[in-house]
Amino acid sequence: MILSIEDLSIRSRERTIVDGVSLTVREGEFMALVGQSGSGKSLLSQAIGQLLPSNLRAAGKVLFEGDNLLDYDLREMRTLRGRRLSYIFQDYQGAFTPFRSIGAHFDEYQKIHGEKSKTVRRDKAAEALESVGLDAALLRRYPFQLSGGQLQRTAIATALLLSPRLLIADEATTALDSVSGHRVLELLARKQQETGCAILFITHDWRHVRRYADRLAVMKEGRIVESGGKHRILDHPQHEYTRRLIEAAPVLGRSLRSGLEQEEQA
Amino acid sequence: MKTAYAHRRILRSVPASMKHRLQAGAAALFALLVIGASIYTFMILKHDPTLTDLRGRLLGASTLHPLGTDHLGRDVLTRLLLGSTQTLGYSLLALGTALVIGIPFGLLAGYRRGWVDRLFMRIADGFLAFPDTIVAIVLSGLLGAGIGNLVLAIVLVKWVSYARLVRSTVLSESQKDYVAIARTHGLSDARIMSRHLLPHIAGHVLVLASLDLGKIILLISSLSYIGLGAQPPTPEWGAMLNDSRPYFQSRPELMVYPGLAIVSVVLLANMLGDYLRDRFDVKKEAQP
Amino acid sequence: MSRPISESRDSLFAAQTLAPDAQQGVGTADAYAAERAPVSAGALPPVLLVDGLTRTYAGAQLPAVRSVSFALGRGECLGLVGESGCGKSTLARCLLRIEEADAGSIMLGGQDIAPLRGRKLRPHRRKIQIVFQNPAAALNPRLRIEDSLLDPYLQLGREAKLSHFAYTSRDAYVRRLLEAVELPAELAGRYPHELSGGQRQRVTIARAISIEPEVLVLDEPTASLDVISQGAVLDLLTGLRRSLGLSYLFISHDLAAVHRMSQRIMVMRSGEIVDQFEAEDLFSEERHPYTQELISIF
Repeated sequence: MILSIEDLSIRSRERTIVDGVSLTVREGEFMALVGQSGSGKSLLSQAIGQLLPSNLRAAGKVLFEGDNLLDYDLREMRTLRGRRLSYIFQDYQGAFTPFRSIGAHFDEYQKIHGEKSKTVRRDKAAEALESVGLDAALLRRYPFQLSGGQLQRTAIATALLLSPRLLIADEATTALDSVSGHRVLELLARKQQETGCAILFITHDWRHVRRYADRLAVMKEGRIVESGGKHRILDHPQHEYTRRLIEAAPVLGRSLRSGLEQEEQA
Repeated sequence: MKTAYAHRRILRSVPASMKHRLQAGAAALFALLVIGASIYTFMILKHDPTLTDLRGRLLGASTLHPLGTDHLGRDVLTRLLLGSTQTLGYSLLALGTALVIGIPFGLLAGYRRGWVDRLFMRIADGFLAFPDTIVAIVLSGLLGAGIGNLVLAIVLVKWVSYARLVRSTVLSESQKDYVAIARTHGLSDARIMSRHLLPHIAGHVLVLASLDLGKIILLISSLSYIGLGAQPPTPEWGAMLNDSRPYFQSRPELMVYPGLAIVSVVLLANMLGDYLRDRFDVKKEAQP
Repeated sequence: MSRPISESRDSLFAAQTLAPDAQQGVGTADAYAAERAPVSAGALPPVLLVDGLTRTYAGAQLPAVRSVSFALGRGECLGLVGESGCGKSTLARCLLRIEEADAGSIMLGGQDIAPLRGRKLRPHRRKIQIVFQNPAAALNPRLRIEDSLLDPYLQLGREAKLSHFAYTSRDAYVRRLLEAVELPAELAGRYPHELSGGQRQRVTIARAISIEPEVLVLDEPTASLDVISQGAVLDLLTGLRRSLGLSYLFISHDLAAVHRMSQRIMVMRSGEIVDQFEAEDLFSEERHPYTQELISIF
């Protein structure tokens, strides 16, 4: 159990947005959190790394490798973020400072986390870019010179640079079209195989859930309505809302919703 | 001109809800003032504002002359109130003319793009190169001093800012899908401009115009003060200020009255502008 | 379980002409036969016939749309799938005459509208309408819903003899349109920002069908909606096509949605149509490699 969220609530002054959610992510698994926009799934993911906007308060427990992250102070959180836990966001353009080159981003990131040698930093950055299928020459480019898919790959390279144990991908493919989104996700799954890090993947796209998730949780209006193994939920949803959500998305229909060719023998 | 915005610094310390009420109050007061002054001057005018009476010059306040008389024996209150219609009237005339020229110019340039846009905007840039005061002084030098030439000078300088504002709004709006769709509905360009684009512009233009009004009032007054605007015996505030200058030692209130009038009208006009800007804040409206 | 796909894919017309497609995934012997055969497979001529349409942007080396040709049968839904930047939106804008094609013809109801301009073009505009991806941008934020709905009628409606949405009074007309897209009548007086994304998209659909076009171009109509509204809007569109006898050009990057909606599918890449086939032949071995790559993604 790498991450265990227990009875987490997120409130603004007026209302409760996330209401008593419990969720676990196991070591090395691909966990999907599915829900419509406004269900609170993004806020939940932000609460893990204390990234909530200042007008929101989180209460409950977020146990990461046994420690409650909500008790961490800012300095402790900063050392944790990036090293043990990192994020990829939907907005790939906002994830990079427009007037700094890609290389400068990698360099600064490593410097903050204590890598002193300049040549090591440079070599590591080039290696990281190549590991996500990009040319090391891109280090000299600026963010606006890269396509959306390239930027999101770069974001993955940055996020995995210090081999975190948990990667939180918040709608990482939503802003990309289906083909480049697919390629980015394929890469993410491959990197997971290589590094063995756990992924909490927040999405509303069943396609990706079907293909890559081990387990999933469905969120609606701040609560988890259903969670469990992928095949169980996709092929035999218990909750009415889950059923509606699954049926709303068209599939290329040859197989079961979960992507299996036939029912698994229980 | 920076001082014209002094009220913003003061308002910043006021809570937002109260600030709105203050601004709305100021806007209402401004409207009342304009209406009141014009009613007064046309309905219950007791004195001829240009009638000189050298025996009754520089009189103090009395029931007959509530604010006394000036150096030529004219009633100060009457001149002050008539001055409001003068100053405001010419300011509005200048503003209106600038709008009438600027809006179609900007609409056409922004919607047509291409060479029309380039031509229009080079012309506009040319006008923009001259500061308003310089243009006013040059025009007075060429065509003679007078309020008409002053208005002309203001129009020449001001229309450009409206044309540019309208153009930039139209440039971005006409890229939006709803304009493309209006075209598939067979709407003519003129119809698209009037039905779909003009309403977008109206808010922006109104805000800019009301903020400009204060500046124009100030400009007319200050140029009249140095003798380039309204000519005697027209009761214009800037000119009145100038007229009373020699009597500054003995009758300082003769300068204080028009000065106060200018300051308060400019302030109110600016508050009206701020109020309209908050009301028509497009970004706020677009939020779902 | 999901309902059979064939149910949502047949239409008034296609039901009579296309073979029932019960056997999903079994490729027919000659998958390209349909492409070569007349679209309507009968006496009816295609409602839209595009030939050699090309559009090159100023300064670009390659055309955004290169020599695209296809036919759209009456009552048919023709899918167009491709990645972003492949030229599918440019194609749509050229068909609608929002952008001008450099070459090619657009036969709409037997008349080539490509060379027409101004007054000559206007009567033909009614026959083809479009629904865009982002309904927030497609509605003028300063017009009430009812005014947006009336826009097409004011210009094009009077000339046409409308049967489904006959104009008796302003209110009745607006109410009838809102009803057709399953929206409550009280939305008429609202502004676009007061509606949800799904509701807004329904309004743009109502506006597009108000003047009873023959062809409706749907350019990613569900891409900006959340999952549940997506399904509902697709259902609505299928229902409208059947009840009004509309023909759709359904453009999307979502192959699953295209497959669900369309009888025939075209695949576009770098401005060209690289593959064109009956929907039931999607899983055939003879598909273009790029089509197969797309399938593998979904």
